Amino acid sequence: MTEARFDETIHAPVRLRICGLLNKADRLDFAVLRDTLGISDATLSKHIKTLADSHYVTISKSSSAKRTDARRVTWLSLSPTGRSAFAAHVRALQDIADSRA
Amino acid sequence: MENDFERPTREAAAEALNTLHADRERLANTVEAPRLLLVAFGALGAWWVAAAATTDPGSSYEPPTSGWIALAGGLAIAYLIRRETGIRFRVMGARAGWAVAGIVATCLALFSVSLGLVSSDLRWAVTLTSTTAFLITTWLAGVAYRSAIAELHRD
Repeated sequence: MTEARFDETIHAPVRLRICGLLNKADRLDFAVLRDTLGISDATLSKHIKTLADSHYVTISKSSSAKRTDARRVTWLSLSPTGRSAFAAHVRALQDIADSRA
Repeated sequence: MENDFERPTREAAAEALNTLHADRERLANTVEAPRLLLVAFGALGAWWVAAAATTDPGSSYEPPTSGWIALAGGLAIAYLIRRETGIRFRVMGARAGWAVAGIVATCLALFSVSLGLVSSDLRWAVTLTSTTAFLITTWLAGVAYRSAIAELHRD
């Protein structure tokens, strides 16, 4: 069983939600993540950068058939470190939620 | 490093967990099955079974190379589905595994039946096995995709 460990980087509400969605997929397109969370490109980029700087999220790019310009699809995924930290953080949240008032 | 000052209350922790669950539901509900590409899987299965009509069953029978082309085509369609939906699934679920096995088994069985029809001078009847392959492969590809989406709902 995963050991509970509260992670301040992940706990910020938007970053927790980002990790929650990335944890369910192998990779997600930046646009899918943005639309699911209902936030702006800039906000998502800012939080992704924080998570990437912590080595929790990895970013890769690929060409897009839908686009006629040179822009590429940005794929995001949780690194093994990120998955482990997210699992430990969720465990910590569950412990807090299950604790007696 | 832990910081007790930052720790949420019991209610806030429960709300955060509920939000994670709601996000997963939203993602699962917004991912649409790429129908055209699922039909492409069916067309690929139909084409492979129909390739039996171009063979000459008997002692000089040589298996067609269409199997490798179909495999490459299947991988290409899977890649296009990822690009179309913007999601690469981490797990697809047991139902998806059974569906893929079902596609392979069905196409192999229908290919064998088609060879039998060709050797019985019923080459025209391969149209029927090919159509059957199209319908079953398309349906099972849909089952596999829906299984992957259902996995998104799981905690």
